[in-house]
Amino acid sequence: MSKPILEVNELTTNYVTRFGDKIFAVDHVSVKVDDGKSVGIAGESGCGKSTLALSLMGYYFPPLYYASGDIIIDGQNISGMDPDVVRKTILGNEISYIPQAAMNALNPTQKVIHFIEDVIQAHYPHTPKKEIYELARERFELLGLPAEVLQKYSVELSGGMKQRTVIATSVILSPKVLIADEPSSALDVTSQKMVIKMILDLMEKGIIKSLIFITHELPLLYNVTDDIMIMYAGQIVERGSADEMVFDPIHPYTKALMGSIIVPEEGLRDVKLTAIPGTPPNLKNPPSGCRFADRCKFVMPECRVRSVELRDIGGGRSYRCIIPEEDLRKAYKSEKR
Amino acid sequence: MKGYRNYFLKQLVWFLVTVVVAFTLNFILPRLMPGDPVAAIVARMAQGMSNATGVQAVYEQYTELFGTDKPITEQYVIYIRNVLRGDFGYSISQYPRTVADVIQSSIWWTVALQFPAIIVGWILGNSLGALAAYLRKGFDKVLMPISIFLSNIPAFGMAIILLVIFAVNLRWFPTSGGYQFDMVPSTSFEFVWSVIVHYQLPFWSIVLITIGGQAIGMRSMAIYELNADYVKYARFLGIKDSKIIRYVFRNAMLPQITGLALSIGTMIGGALVAEIIFSYPGLGSTMLTAVLGGDYPLISAATLIVTLMVLVAFFALEIVYGLIDPRIKAAQSE
Repeated sequence: MSKPILEVNELTTNYVTRFGDKIFAVDHVSVKVDDGKSVGIAGESGCGKSTLALSLMGYYFPPLYYASGDIIIDGQNISGMDPDVVRKTILGNEISYIPQAAMNALNPTQKVIHFIEDVIQAHYPHTPKKEIYELARERFELLGLPAEVLQKYSVELSGGMKQRTVIATSVILSPKVLIADEPSSALDVTSQKMVIKMILDLMEKGIIKSLIFITHELPLLYNVTDDIMIMYAGQIVERGSADEMVFDPIHPYTKALMGSIIVPEEGLRDVKLTAIPGTPPNLKNPPSGCRFADRCKFVMPECRVRSVELRDIGGGRSYRCIIPEEDLRKAYKSEKR
Repeated sequence: MKGYRNYFLKQLVWFLVTVVVAFTLNFILPRLMPGDPVAAIVARMAQGMSNATGVQAVYEQYTELFGTDKPITEQYVIYIRNVLRGDFGYSISQYPRTVADVIQSSIWWTVALQFPAIIVGWILGNSLGALAAYLRKGFDKVLMPISIFLSNIPAFGMAIILLVIFAVNLRWFPTSGGYQFDMVPSTSFEFVWSVIVHYQLPFWSIVLITIGGQAIGMRSMAIYELNADYVKYARFLGIKDSKIIRYVFRNAMLPQITGLALSIGTMIGGALVAEIIFSYPGLGSTMLTAVLGGDYPLISAATLIVTLMVLVAFFALEIVYGLIDPRIKAAQSE
């Protein structure tokens, strides 16, 4: 097995509301990404996906606060480090980020190249501008972006071009880990495809070592990442390889999510489309038992009282439910008939 | 640069069109007023005159002077020709001085009072607002109520408060005038000193009001920009706060520049109150006497100047905006 590039252990972060209430939007989340691998994280709106993306960066600003856990990048634990040092040496350099809203991610009154200068000089203060330009031009061309983009303002770029510019800028210093928070959700299918291809290129060309891709589009993850994690109400409910997760889901929530996807593929088309009834719990007062209990088809009285841990069933697979996997599979099978 | 040249030309054409329209309105509006202005003037001039032929003679003389007996198109041509020559006719309230002469002697007082006051108030207000947005906490909690209080005091209120405190009670500064009334304008030290002392109260009354409004505007713009997505993104790429703050304030400044152009353009209207209360010899006081004295030529000329100043200020604003805000440039080149 190859060594992990990013190892996150039991990371917990919380928001603080203006009334002082703490909301644990990321609750004891562990993620491990090996060299050359990618992990997708999916879930409903409000399940804590984007907060997890922010939390994984290891740098927090209000209203998000760090509570506990470790973030280890290539053997270096950054969660105990001075935030200023993290910012200067880690962010953008070791771990980088592609935001959800690339439309507004670039300063409207600054040319792309000047922003790249600022990014590079934030980490390597005395880099000459000429060198930066050469580096940026090379990197942009390698990723299939015309060098003219560097001399433009963000308003002069189309949506898809803007997103690709943001991606190229995020990886300008070849970070080890890249966290992409819904990088393609706001784009049309053509641009979406280009963006996804570009992100895969980053891995292939060795610009980044591992990727965490966050989205609500499960079919997309299936095509992009090696592993998939499903998040629900701030917790990971299931993890496995992309194939296993799509074709052999264990957790009732994963199963329900798969049932609510419109699948264009032949053979899967006749599967009935279902919605998950109910809404996720309020994280201000999370239920003491299983968080999915209220919406679960297989709920038992025990589910509401016993807190349930993520159960490792080997082969990189784990899920969070008290019902044994065989029983769940059996139930799914009988359901189909 | 071609895109910018087109933008410039387009703005210039619009500027000229508005000038012509403003010019025409300034010509037509007084002539649409009910009643005959000449008759009104003559009626005032002729008070106490019992000689009907004399009144008739005065009336005819004025009719000829203003050309009101000619067709309106011809009047327009005469009007434009006169304005281009800088000839606005005679001032009625300060006869026999010409309107051009009256305006020339007072406008510089106004410009010298207002222009620095607006600039100082704008810079101070924006700096304070930016600081409040960045520091928040205590500084913000103290500055904001003060700014809201300052910006909501009517201009005459501020002038009177300063007048009562510093001129009447403390006697630090004189109550009125542009210089000591028994002095003759010269370049002597005493005169210059007197001008400086008389300058303070009207100056600060304008500065204080400007600070309040600008600080509030800048604070909310800066808070808005501080929460923008690009700020978060720049942070996650490791850029220092000191640099991000520079992005934020540059962007927050853009709408504030509109405010600056607006106050510079409407300078004379804004001057009215401060100048009247401190009897400052500027264009504001002149306009007041013109209005009170029914001095139509003077009012008309002053209105034209105000209009032109607003138009020029906005034209300059558009030009500067095209240079500093790429969004405008991009929108124009499409």
